[in-house]
Amino acid sequence: MDQLIIKLSELFLNAAAASRFYAVMRYAFPLLAFWLLLRCARSLLTFRRQSEIWAWLNVAGQTSIPVTHWENTIGRSKGCDIVIDLGTVSRSHAVLTRYDDGSWSISDIGSRGGVQVGGRDVSLAALSYGQVFTLGGVEFFLERISKEEREEQKARRQRPGAGFRQWFTLLLLTVFQLCSMIAMMFGTQPEHMQQVITGYGALMIAEWVLYIFFLAIRRNGFEVETLAFFLCTLGISVIATASPASMNKELIAIGIGIFLFLSVGWSLRSLERAKRIRYLAAAAGILLLLANLLLGVEKNGARNWIELGGFSFQPSEIVKVCFVFVGASTMDRIVTRRNLTLFIVYTGLIGICLVLISDFGAALIFFVTFVVIAFLRSGNFAGIAMICTAAAFAVLIVVRFRPYVLSRFAAWGNVWEYANVAGGYQQTRSMMCIATAGLFGLGAGNGFMKHVAASDTDLVFALISEEWGLLIGILMILTVLILAVFAVRSVGVARSSFYTIGACAASTVFLMQTALNVFGTVDILPLTGVTFPFVSNGGSSMMASWALLAFIKAADTRQNASFAIRLASGKEERYE
Amino acid sequence: MNKVSKRAWLVLAAAAVIFCGVILFVVRYARDASEWVTFPGNPHLYSGINPSIGTVRDASGELLLDSSGERIYAHDLMLRRSTMHLLGDRDGFIEAPLLGHYAEDMISYSPVHGLVIEEKTPATAELTIAASVQKAALNALGGRKGTVGVYNYVTGEILCAVTSPTYDPDDVPEITEENEAQYDGVYVNRFFRSSYTPGSVFKALTATAALSELEDAESMTFYCGGEVIIDGERIVCAGYHGEQDLATALKNSCNVAFGELTVLLGKDIMTEYAEKAGITSSLSFDGIRTASGSFDVSEAGEGSLAWAGIGQYTDLINPCQYMTFMGMLANGGKAAQPYLMQRIVTDGTASYQAETVMLESGLRSDVTRTMAEMMRNNVVQGYGTALFPDVEVCAKSGTAEMGEGKASTALFAGFVTDAKYPLAFIVVVEEGGTGASAAAPIAGSVLSACVEHIDRQNSSK
Repeated sequence: MDQLIIKLSELFLNAAAASRFYAVMRYAFPLLAFWLLLRCARSLLTFRRQSEIWAWLNVAGQTSIPVTHWENTIGRSKGCDIVIDLGTVSRSHAVLTRYDDGSWSISDIGSRGGVQVGGRDVSLAALSYGQVFTLGGVEFFLERISKEEREEQKARRQRPGAGFRQWFTLLLLTVFQLCSMIAMMFGTQPEHMQQVITGYGALMIAEWVLYIFFLAIRRNGFEVETLAFFLCTLGISVIATASPASMNKELIAIGIGIFLFLSVGWSLRSLERAKRIRYLAAAAGILLLLANLLLGVEKNGARNWIELGGFSFQPSEIVKVCFVFVGASTMDRIVTRRNLTLFIVYTGLIGICLVLISDFGAALIFFVTFVVIAFLRSGNFAGIAMICTAAAFAVLIVVRFRPYVLSRFAAWGNVWEYANVAGGYQQTRSMMCIATAGLFGLGAGNGFMKHVAASDTDLVFALISEEWGLLIGILMILTVLILAVFAVRSVGVARSSFYTIGACAASTVFLMQTALNVFGTVDILPLTGVTFPFVSNGGSSMMASWALLAFIKAADTRQNASFAIRLASGKEERYE
Repeated sequence: MNKVSKRAWLVLAAAAVIFCGVILFVVRYARDASEWVTFPGNPHLYSGINPSIGTVRDASGELLLDSSGERIYAHDLMLRRSTMHLLGDRDGFIEAPLLGHYAEDMISYSPVHGLVIEEKTPATAELTIAASVQKAALNALGGRKGTVGVYNYVTGEILCAVTSPTYDPDDVPEITEENEAQYDGVYVNRFFRSSYTPGSVFKALTATAALSELEDAESMTFYCGGEVIIDGERIVCAGYHGEQDLATALKNSCNVAFGELTVLLGKDIMTEYAEKAGITSSLSFDGIRTASGSFDVSEAGEGSLAWAGIGQYTDLINPCQYMTFMGMLANGGKAAQPYLMQRIVTDGTASYQAETVMLESGLRSDVTRTMAEMMRNNVVQGYGTALFPDVEVCAKSGTAEMGEGKASTALFAGFVTDAKYPLAFIVVVEEGGTGASAAAPIAGSVLSACVEHIDRQNSSK
């Protein structure tokens, strides 16, 4: 094996061959990546959104309305899932909920007329098919959806990637990875040849194993994972050039990340299970940050690392996953305010912890994610504006009493004046290198960025743009945007608001990380030291990114698309 | 459920904001990338602080520096030494902003392909300086510290910008305690970045102010008895000049006459003319910003004001800037701004071509004509025309007292009125002695080299 590596190293020391390879591949890399992204984007962003029908709601013995979610608001307001336009029905009257096992319940959400089951006012009551309940004097009952209707619906609903061969997209990615590997073998030092081959090789194996595993469990939506693996490929390229010694660590992190992805996705399949995990996640989140406060060590200005037995990790990354769990909520809880108050307190606690460890980038990510969750749950603009104002005041107070915090951002907007001192060094080198490389890059391993501190984490956008070209850099950002837009499209037909909130919150985390990372690097925002999801070198960040991705998969209700969605047939049928 | 899902637009909005951010960056990239790439410190472009991006030649095409690969300097030792401060050294001890300033024009850069290093043809930067004149000037300085500058006041081309001490960039000396006196200030380009006490060369400015503001200035007479007391301050003269008019006083460089004249003109007028001549401001061209001089009499009593009018007190001039003032006297009150970079050529096409920028002083042309006559008189009656065999020179010398037992700084500044050789010049020799004896002969030999260079250029055209 060692002999082989030495042989390979000699082969790839050929400068003429390298330049011939690059003469073509400079242009082939962005083309391949663009083609790959286009295929994923078309599949993810153009699918026909079609609701699953879970039952029929019979109104006054006359018409039947399809029940298209697991949680359905009933009321006079147009915003309700089931609109009953009668004066006696409140604007938001009740929530009709379906559970994992196929059972149903009805709950009163503070209506004037109340909800009556069997003649008695109830706030929450189980419902069986055919059992009559009354809202505002109108009688309703649920009708089971027949086996034939179910089959017909299943046949009609769009499967993921209809017309998009997923294996072909994955093959494109594999070609991209193989070419990247060859490029990197030309660019790297002979002593790092092994890490380069291991890195790209392991990634290619991982994606095909995962793909085949999904096929085996009859799931064939693989675009989201393909996009994540595309970003991971860029991540491997970053490590191969800037920090080859951490290749094995990163590969292990990707492995654990995929395991977390599958675990979180599996736990989300059952809403009851997911709701139970919320409390665990809440406790874990706070404990992790408290541990961080007590045991944290400082790296690059923020005390956001814990070192345990030779391993170091960033608790705030894992807390992101907990936070999304805590923030997600089902419809019946959303309508009561008390839960949002608790959530505000929880966010406040996290915020204080993060400010105490000077991790302002993470604090901002949590805050924006909180705003998105709070808006999804309440729809209350005024309230959220108030929270933002309060947060702005809190920031002002912090600045007033700890003015040195501001000095970290002094260079923002005029980094060229701080080009050779702390504060502007990294950004100016980043822009200089991006400009030097142009749209097509200097080639793998040929950059200067790798010598700049934090180029494999906070400045990855510059490192990727320098070695692979600005086009790839921009495609890297577009990848995250595609994931986010897909999540938003999916939640329109999500089964529960729990999944809607989860997917939106996870997307927000990705978007915020991307924005702070990229725009911090090029001086559009202050440099706060945030990782780019799936790309930056960092085990905790990689694991958290994969775990968060599960929330997006849990909102993907296309027929047979996602492992995180139980097929709408099978076990729950047993409930009669 | 619908309600909650519809609120997801907020996430879409966030994605849209990021998309706009990306567009913003792309726009900035398209607009500014060529500046980002030439940032001093780009290791793809610079070795140390000096860019390695092409070849540099003098006005006659002689190679001064080939920096397309390694930095290869001229073959001639004196040429290497006399041009090092314009080109910068390999290690970046001596920073030459000139090439960095034009890096954008010298590299082949496109925002699409970036800086394609391998395939480009190196650009050639053509400077205005003449290699022969540079060498003559460094030779004439003969190891003394100081600077020599000559430029064409009609076009702005700098023919000579030499600073001493210097060293061979191919043989960088180790500066130790023993030889540090020899290399004192070697990292500074004295022509652009130093300012000196002017001594009597400043009398050219005082005389200009007098001719402009006093109607009878030319017919005024001054009596010099070797010294005079003004406001308790003893103004000593180098000689006993007796009764004299302004022209004679200037030729005599009479401190008594110019001390009294300055007090007569007053602080405001003197300050106004110092500003008109540009003494207190700095010139900016080719990425070079000259040091600014100083004329500050706000706290001065009459005695100090008198000293200020004869180029002592706290007066300072920058050689390059004062040379430009000489050009203004030669050219009716306005002179071209000096420059060093003539053009930059890549593959036969010029990516940069110098243009003449005229500087207006606001001095009247009758005043400058009289000044020229008086300064011509200095040469004819004083320094001797033998020093300048080829051209008609108008000049004023200066010997700046440095106090504290230090030898005086010798200065000599002036211009040529011959339309064929529209040159203004300045020579400064630190610890050189008197201007007339130490600096004037240097000016003579450098001007001869300039004439020879111009003639050669004209005949080759």
